[in-house]
Amino acid sequence: MNTADSIIIIIPAKNEEDSIAQVLGDLKARFPYPIVVINDASTDNTVAIAEQAGARVLTLSISLGAWGAIQTGLRYALREGFEIAITMDADGQHEADSLPSLLAPIMTRKADVTIGAFTQRGSFARHVAWSLFRKLSGLSLEDLTSGLRAYTTPAIRLLASPAATLLDYQDMGVLMLLQRAQLRIQEVPISMRPRLLGKSRIFSSWWAVSNYMLYTAILCLAHGSHYFRKNKCPIKSPQPF
Amino acid sequence: MSYQITSAILGISLALIILLLIRRDRLHSRHAIWWLFVAVFVMILGIFPRIIDYIALKLGVNYPPTLLFSLGMAMILLKVLSIDLHQSQLERKTRRLAQRLALLEGDKQQHDD
Repeated sequence: MNTADSIIIIIPAKNEEDSIAQVLGDLKARFPYPIVVINDASTDNTVAIAEQAGARVLTLSISLGAWGAIQTGLRYALREGFEIAITMDADGQHEADSLPSLLAPIMTRKADVTIGAFTQRGSFARHVAWSLFRKLSGLSLEDLTSGLRAYTTPAIRLLASPAATLLDYQDMGVLMLLQRAQLRIQEVPISMRPRLLGKSRIFSSWWAVSNYMLYTAILCLAHGSHYFRKNKCPIKSPQPF
Repeated sequence: MSYQITSAILGISLALIILLLIRRDRLHSRHAIWWLFVAVFVMILGIFPRIIDYIALKLGVNYPPTLLFSLGMAMILLKVLSIDLHQSQLERKTRRLAQRLALLEGDKQQHDD
């Protein structure tokens, strides 16, 4: 562990040609870690720009959404034997400067998963919704949707498995899976820039918000409790591919 | 024309359509088994609609058509549920395939460069 070549940065990108160059540039300037961009069926110049910035690009032939793209990256990380996978948004919200504090608890083996948490953001209504979902799911984390995370091998193995394939977002469904597998999740406070361009895809309209709320409530129902499901622990599956 | 002839014609033609589709290999075998069962069921009920009255009487259902409708509805619900289960399974497989394809295409590209 602790060596630079055991860490990989995974960035899911769908039509992010306006921000991806800066995101990759910031990372490359500060860290030696390899970067893999998962192109979620972009229709713009994202691929060319990312490749020029020195990232490895994997292209999904059909759009799988943010989580489907991240999982592709995790499967890649697992196959290539990386021990730590960092996920980051391509829209410039996350700062490269946050990575050292994100990695600190992992380097000292105090956590299996770290989440870059920025809790000041979000409207009052959003905070009410989060506290409701916290109750439903039994998760005690502050920032349930942050896309800036670091995963260690057991977490990568679990999240690359088919058990995590039907999720749609890298948020509560993923966290509940990790919690059920009794992995140690730790939040690290970070600062966040406003998105360089564009808005949150999840919180784009009231219709999208209601859809997302319902989706998350159902996730809590499916994964939140131990009582309704057999304890299938995918960590032990020998062959995740 | 008695109602029995009408129901027999309906039942037999539906059964024939299903059998034709199975014969032409338009239905995957696991679905074909279900539909074969439906075809037989519909044909028997079409030719002998009195069966429903008989069963309803035995089960204490006052108005036999309600038995037919609720049984039919229950079967349709079960079938739709099984379709969604199967559909979710397919979705999982499709996503994993797309991911795997992305990995393999990445390998190929690196190999070519």
